[in-house]
Amino acid sequence: MTMTPRLRKLALTAHVTSSVGWLGAVASFLALAVAGLTSRDAQLVRAAYLTMELTGWFILLPLALASLLTGLLQSLGTTWGLVRHYWVLFKLLINVLATIVLLLYMQTLSSLGDVAARTTLSSDDLGALQSPSPVLHAAAALLLLLVATVLAVYKPRGMTRYGQRRLREQRGLR
Amino acid sequence: MADMPDPDTGDVPDRGSTALTPLWVKLFGIIALVVVLVFVVFLLTGRGHGPGRHTGAGGGHIPPSGHMEQP
Repeated sequence: MTMTPRLRKLALTAHVTSSVGWLGAVASFLALAVAGLTSRDAQLVRAAYLTMELTGWFILLPLALASLLTGLLQSLGTTWGLVRHYWVLFKLLINVLATIVLLLYMQTLSSLGDVAARTTLSSDDLGALQSPSPVLHAAAALLLLLVATVLAVYKPRGMTRYGQRRLREQRGLR
Repeated sequence: MADMPDPDTGDVPDRGSTALTPLWVKLFGIIALVVVLVFVVFLLTGRGHGPGRHTGAGGGHIPPSGHMEQP
């Protein structure tokens, strides 16, 4: 199924918006994670972890799913295909991996948010909150999404065996 | 760059394509393999990783609130 040029532009706009939005949201999340890890101010640490949980549920996760869905639509609706070109395949793998890790990590973020939401916070609680885990996850996500962005912009050449076979079949039909 | 696909549609001009795997694909594959191996080593050495397992120094245990912390 090939999309009309108008629909293709709309789908591309949605995909770029959600993907770049996801990248920006991860950068913001990283800033919060660093503040939460390094600050000596208990109120700031609590605020950082509460905001991280909200950001995760209401910004990161919706943008990740939107990026994945619009990416699937974009590749299946054009002759780029999903597994014909290596750069599309790598982007798909990065997107799926990052979304799965995010979905699993939301459990950790929620438990950190629960601790941060307590009105009484012991120094032990504060120590447990100040984990390097959000910083590491956000930094890894940022790196992965930057790689995906570079792949999308440069579109390095290289077709998979399946892509080459499909191309030969199409040319054979013409 | 004449044999590059159309950036919008992915249509490939009618030119023979190479069957060789590009160098950048091999490089990405090696990096991905190394990352997976490091992850597996972390799992096998018992350092633990996974949802809820990296909160706090105790590998996921968040101690209950004991007393009031003065801000």
